[in-house]
Amino acid sequence: MKKYIIITCLAFSLFSCEQVIPFDIVTSENQLVVDAWLTDELKEQKVKLTLSQSYFDSTDLKPALGATVYLIKQDSSRIILKDNKNNGTYSFIPTTKDYMKQGELVGLYIKYQNEEFYSASKLNRVPKIDSVVFENSSNPNGPPSSKYPKEGFLGQFYAKDPTGEGDTYVIRKTINDTLKNKPNEYQLAYDAGFSPGSKSDGLTFILPIRQSITPGLFRDKDKVKVDIYSIPVEAYYFLLQVRQESQNGGIFATPLSNIPSNIFNRNANSKTKALGVFIVSKVASFETIIDKSKAKPKK
Amino acid sequence: MIGVTVFLKEIKAGVQTNVYGFYSLTAPKGTYQMTLTYVGYKSIVKTVEFDQNKTLDFEMSDDAKLLDEVVISTKKEDDNVKNLEMSVNKVEMKTIKKMPAFLGETDMVRSIQFLPGVSSVGEGASGFNVRGGAIDQNLVLLDEAPVYNSSHLFGFFSVFNPDVVKDVKLIKGGIPAAYGGRVSSILDVRMKEGNNKKPEFTGGIGTIFSRFAYERPFYKEKGSFIVALRRSYIDILAKPFLTADLKKARFYFYDFTAKTNFKLNENNTFYLSGYSGRDVFGTDFGFNWGNTTTSFRWNHLFSKKLFLNTTIFYSNYDYALDSDLKKENNKDSFRWESNIINYSLKPDFSYYLNPKNTLAFGGQVIYYTFNPGQAVAVSAGVGREIGLKNKYAVESAVYISNEQKINNWLSISYGLRYSVYNYLGKGDAFTLENTPQDGNRKKVTSTTTYKTGESITNYGNLEPRFAFNIGLNNSSSIKLGYNRLAQYIHLLSNTVASSPLDVWTPSSNNIKPQVSDQVALGVFKNFNDNTYESSVEVYYKTLKNQIDYIRNADLLLNPALEGDLLFGDGRAYGSEFFLKKNKGKFNGWISYTFARTERQITGLNNNDWFVSRIDKTHNLSLVGILDLNKTWSFGSTFSYATGTPASFPTNKFLWQDIALPHNFTDARNSYRIPDSHRLDISGTHKNKRAFFSKKGESEWVFSVYNLYNRKNPFSVYVRQNPDNPAKTEAVKYSVFASIIPAVTYNFKF
Repeated sequence: MKKYIIITCLAFSLFSCEQVIPFDIVTSENQLVVDAWLTDELKEQKVKLTLSQSYFDSTDLKPALGATVYLIKQDSSRIILKDNKNNGTYSFIPTTKDYMKQGELVGLYIKYQNEEFYSASKLNRVPKIDSVVFENSSNPNGPPSSKYPKEGFLGQFYAKDPTGEGDTYVIRKTINDTLKNKPNEYQLAYDAGFSPGSKSDGLTFILPIRQSITPGLFRDKDKVKVDIYSIPVEAYYFLLQVRQESQNGGIFATPLSNIPSNIFNRNANSKTKALGVFIVSKVASFETIIDKSKAKPKK
Repeated sequence: MIGVTVFLKEIKAGVQTNVYGFYSLTAPKGTYQMTLTYVGYKSIVKTVEFDQNKTLDFEMSDDAKLLDEVVISTKKEDDNVKNLEMSVNKVEMKTIKKMPAFLGETDMVRSIQFLPGVSSVGEGASGFNVRGGAIDQNLVLLDEAPVYNSSHLFGFFSVFNPDVVKDVKLIKGGIPAAYGGRVSSILDVRMKEGNNKKPEFTGGIGTIFSRFAYERPFYKEKGSFIVALRRSYIDILAKPFLTADLKKARFYFYDFTAKTNFKLNENNTFYLSGYSGRDVFGTDFGFNWGNTTTSFRWNHLFSKKLFLNTTIFYSNYDYALDSDLKKENNKDSFRWESNIINYSLKPDFSYYLNPKNTLAFGGQVIYYTFNPGQAVAVSAGVGREIGLKNKYAVESAVYISNEQKINNWLSISYGLRYSVYNYLGKGDAFTLENTPQDGNRKKVTSTTTYKTGESITNYGNLEPRFAFNIGLNNSSSIKLGYNRLAQYIHLLSNTVASSPLDVWTPSSNNIKPQVSDQVALGVFKNFNDNTYESSVEVYYKTLKNQIDYIRNADLLLNPALEGDLLFGDGRAYGSEFFLKKNKGKFNGWISYTFARTERQITGLNNNDWFVSRIDKTHNLSLVGILDLNKTWSFGSTFSYATGTPASFPTNKFLWQDIALPHNFTDARNSYRIPDSHRLDISGTHKNKRAFFSKKGESEWVFSVYNLYNRKNPFSVYVRQNPDNPAKTEAVKYSVFASIIPAVTYNFKF
């Protein structure tokens, strides 16, 4: 796939160019932004509240302070999140992985400046990662960069989507303790394929998804952690559009459109709307250190 | 020859030859001066005795040098003023060949973009837009067979080999009743017949392509044929520079065009023509796409007044992707193919009732098969067939029209076309949830399966056509035209430029046919003994059932695709100014278009009208050709266009440290990207013979594209700076951001 892209780009890159240009836009009022991605991991769980700002404003985003934030469990119990550092990050540390149960619809409540917002997200199942394997590989035509070697290791993880259509996931990688979090660095999956049309329910994740954990090539002794997050289907479409809107250039760009939010004002008639999304995920992880003696030979 | 004026001076009556070069004239018994005229050709004047039915065949000389001689016994080339056609642009291939070409490759589709009312969404984009219409609203015909993707290399080059094209006609309005099926325009490309006097080789060696054509007569000059091949050779040139695993990379495109004609007798002529082209890309991952067309035509004269052409054509556009071209990995692979195939029968009659009335009538049946995508995916050894069922449809039409010369100053034409469309089984019809359209995906609530041949849904449209020509004096006229057109198949594309993967889809129970109504009014005037022709036209067009897309629309391999579509209306209006110099050493034209095209789509832009992505307010083109002497000629083109509309965010927000755009008012296309302009030049040096032959002729063509190195924007988009996440910025993307020189060598012997 990558080579195909290289060749297609070759045709265009011969004459094309990209330039940063000044561009005047009209700005509008700022809105509450909810960045809430909670997992069933035993670590600090955060809901970050900020305010949106003019698109070309490069100053730090302002935190939304003084909000009331809590989770509502299906048994009506509440988990309160507190902004201990007064920086707009409302958090708590779970004491048990079971603080959310598989299949549970978890609610999020936020009160900010007299407006009340709510959201809900379902905790879906996640398959376990059976293995992460590496093979010797070379990438002589790769971009000249010190980031990745020309001779190295191509990795893939093996996991199988459970039977039953409509499971959606995001696969993220942490390389040498750095989470790869750019929009082109996470991989979305619908069942074991890319999209609902791939009809890949119950299969092992398809090759390009399995290999998506390899940015360029790995070096010997690289530490690689692969995480599969189960996500609700609306989060799949949210993240799909996040990726689209954050790298929407070239001749096959799509029209810019707003990314839908699943945060709603309790007063449906209120003109104050929030941005962002609330997601709950179960996480399956696999961590390994590359050992060149164990890597498969080159194909 | 198409469109030659045949005129009888004494009774001031005349006709034009039809697309097969046929004409018929009726006049009272007597002796007449018959004049045949055609722009750029030597006129023929002949005294003809009209005493009985006669067949008169003529050969016209296209010796361009004759244009320099002022005193030729020509009738005025005032066809543009006198005929009923409006909103029509014809460009001679010999003019197109003198215009500067991108990488030296003469390109018809690029050349017509210098005409009024024609534009493209950006340099390098596939297709063209006519009077505010989308690219799928142009019916592109190659010898009457539709071509579904007219581009090579995503849009860099058109699929038409310039050595085989005889005549190009773009009809933007006042579309005759004989045509239908698309709502914006007809691009009628006619392939040339092979030389019926002597064998001839033509060819060219260019920067990108090489071309070769051979033509010759056969069977006592009753028939002739031409075969032509073009192939790109970037892959061959690039090979030495590629490293091992890209050595086997395939990236090339080719096309093969052929035509033969045979005149059985005075009353029967047969033509068989075809095109097959393909773009191939890939190493271990492969991608290829291409068109194939075949047309068989039979010209028959029932009598001296009744002419019939019957066309049978086949057209196919297909593409395929393969993740494992080398077949090395049987455990993980993906293969995918998609196509649109159609067969058609099309009889067209012309009845030359009398010199004042020419009737045209006929019909057409098209049978479509759509394969929206068939794929096989194998993951870790487990294979699965995925993909969508084929779809079937039949489109039929009957029409009748009359061209009537009322008196010396008034001609009218009127016609009616009735088209019927049937969406057929075997297949599934989807019922979508009945919720107000708010721009979000609609779920399929039920599916009904239909048997083979069973009608799923059908539509019919009456399509009236009118045209008036009011002669003001010998050199000026006013024309008025109206047409309604219906379109039953749609190209689904949600990207700025259409991609080869875009799928044609039929109208269904959820997708209604597109319908357009257009009125156009024009003033035509020629000056200085027809040295200059000029026109001003205004038009207003409405478009119904236009298709747009929800955010995140999934257009490929999606069975519930119809739930991702949005529908609405469109309107387009504008004025076009055209001044052309036809004669002399220096000729060319100026074209200026002031236009607007808008859409109102339920679920987008708060349901308000918005400017379409293809809108360009001002569009100016200058084309100049200088035939300096017998050896040198020069061409130059300049174009300027307002930047296309685009959507931009008002605000940004951060989610997981990713900066994302948000438009508070959800407005679409409320900004414009910067303007585009470009100057291209070319010079042609003619030689008396081809270098490897003692006879024939050859030429060197030198061209420079984008002479003053302007980086014209294709799009402007926003992004988070990859190195500084706090910074968000606007980025201008230019497809051609350098001066592009090229040399081509053409020969003929």
